[in-house]
Amino acid sequence: MQGLRTHPVILAVVVLAIAFSSLYPERFLTLLNVSTMLKQFVTLTLFALGPSMVVVTGSLDLSFVGIWMLGGILVWLFVPILGTFSILVVLLLGGATGLLIGVLQVKAKVPSFILTLSLLVTYWGLTAKLSGGYPRLVRGYDFVTAPLIPYVPTALLWSIPLILAAVFIMKRTKVGTYLYAIGSNEEGARLAGIDVDRYKILAFTLSGLFTGIGSMILFQHLGGATPVELNLNTVVWPLVAIVLGGTPLVGGSGGPQRTLLGALTFAVVDRGLILSLLHPQAVQLLLGLLLIVAIVVGSRGLKGVAIT
Amino acid sequence: MTRGQTGRWARFWDRLRRSLTTAWPVVAALAIIVGFQVINPFFLSYQGFITLVYAMSYFLIAACGLTFVIVMGSFDFSVVSVLKLAALLCVLYIDRLGLWVIPAALLVSTGLGVINGLLFARFNVPSFMATLGVSVVVEGVALYLSRGFLHIMYDETFRALATSFIARLPAIFFWGMGVWMISTILAVFTPFGRRVYAIGGNPIGAGLSGINVERYRIYVFALSSFCAGLAGVLYMAQLGGGSMQIGADAAIPLFASVVAGGTALTGGVGGPHRTLFGVIIITWIQAGMLMLALGRDVQMVTFGLIALGMSAATIDRRRMRIVK
Repeated sequence: MQGLRTHPVILAVVVLAIAFSSLYPERFLTLLNVSTMLKQFVTLTLFALGPSMVVVTGSLDLSFVGIWMLGGILVWLFVPILGTFSILVVLLLGGATGLLIGVLQVKAKVPSFILTLSLLVTYWGLTAKLSGGYPRLVRGYDFVTAPLIPYVPTALLWSIPLILAAVFIMKRTKVGTYLYAIGSNEEGARLAGIDVDRYKILAFTLSGLFTGIGSMILFQHLGGATPVELNLNTVVWPLVAIVLGGTPLVGGSGGPQRTLLGALTFAVVDRGLILSLLHPQAVQLLLGLLLIVAIVVGSRGLKGVAIT
Repeated sequence: MTRGQTGRWARFWDRLRRSLTTAWPVVAALAIIVGFQVINPFFLSYQGFITLVYAMSYFLIAACGLTFVIVMGSFDFSVVSVLKLAALLCVLYIDRLGLWVIPAALLVSTGLGVINGLLFARFNVPSFMATLGVSVVVEGVALYLSRGFLHIMYDETFRALATSFIARLPAIFFWGMGVWMISTILAVFTPFGRRVYAIGGNPIGAGLSGINVERYRIYVFALSSFCAGLAGVLYMAQLGGGSMQIGADAAIPLFASVVAGGTALTGGVGGPHRTLFGVIIITWIQAGMLMLALGRDVQMVTFGLIALGMSAATIDRRRMRIVK
């Protein structure tokens, strides 16, 4: 019962899953659909895992799509030189971006959302420039998503250690505890002797690293090429997963384990709506409304907190 | 150790900021004009000037609205989406409603602003997130209404709103300057403006001194969306059609033009009068880059970096102990 009260979204996802299954079982309850939901779950989780650590500290990190897009093009550029190892460029890019964001945010004090948004647009422009305007397909990474277990996307198996690592860092280490402390009261954390600046830089770097590793898997999971046009939905949906999961935007609670819940909910709702045979653009609209409801619910109980 | 370092950084930035923010937008605007004139003598000819006026006028209207939001210390991500929706409403319903489509589009835009304001002020959703959510919904509505097609405006009376020439200048120039002047008067000489600055300077203090902060926040978001709607209507009149595919990248130059003028993200500093210079800087860089045949990719990189650099340069670090 305690679980339901703190995670009302568990109830929502169960109710929705039952509703969709009873409304159109012939479409929703198929192995193919479950497999598709898992695929979407993996995509959302890998995108949202890193940023959810930053959201815990009360900041935002929107750069994840930029890392994935630019990373994909860099892989294409480096394949002739480095061969298969060029996928590691994505990891480096992720870590470096995270570190850069952290240092800029802490030292130059630019609010994180505008900082990461500007960087996202910069990366998008770089992607378009470097690619020459076309998505570039890279072959040779098929082994990443080679099917191992029928109907279970291999990317899910890859992401399990990543998820465990993220949850371990946030729940079982000093770093995690400090990040929660910074999120719930930054001034208090400072007064308690935590080197807030260093841990915030660490949070952004971790976010970049996890996004980098995630993008290495996502690169092949999403087709072995990255788009050169940014789709706003790719940025917003992982945010929806974070907020739906129950990590408030002001930080201090929630975390990666909640994001899994949010990603699962989103995958169920999305697939359920798509299979309902509504007009695809109407589905888009309903998902947008879901975001608004999620952020309103996610921001409840914030009376008295100064919000800009 | 850390505190000492922050102090040094803060002092350094502060000195740089105080000397630069007042003078730099004007200097930069002049430098850009001269620079592009040297590269391309066509730049300051009458035809070149008309091109620039067309590029900056609708942009200025939207940027004036956004300036109020930023002065208040918040952020409005939905400006571009609202602009698109207003433009789309005009082209879709002009046959049925005639020129009444203009007040209808403005009403819808203002309504969206009120929703932004309510989400932010009443439901305590951080403004960036609230407007991002609204913008996703608005994009969804726009896509649904337009069905993804290109729409063309055939109504000549409507198009004359922006394209008829008065004193050898297109009408949209006078709309832009008119909105700019009204915004400046509103910001500098009216109690409304004073209160917006007060909320931006210190929301809690403003509340304690008797300003209804919640109500003013809603007003300002409504104003921002109204300006975005007006910009959209005039944009449609100027272009005479278009698809709804202008992307999220348009939000960055818009934001960059506000901060490049010297309005700090921290709130309480700057104002629409400064935004004029920011808009000149940004749209003229944009036009100059187009003349040099630099594509949208290079522009995005440039404006992303300008937005980053300018927000770092204008932020008032003394007042900020905590940055989220």
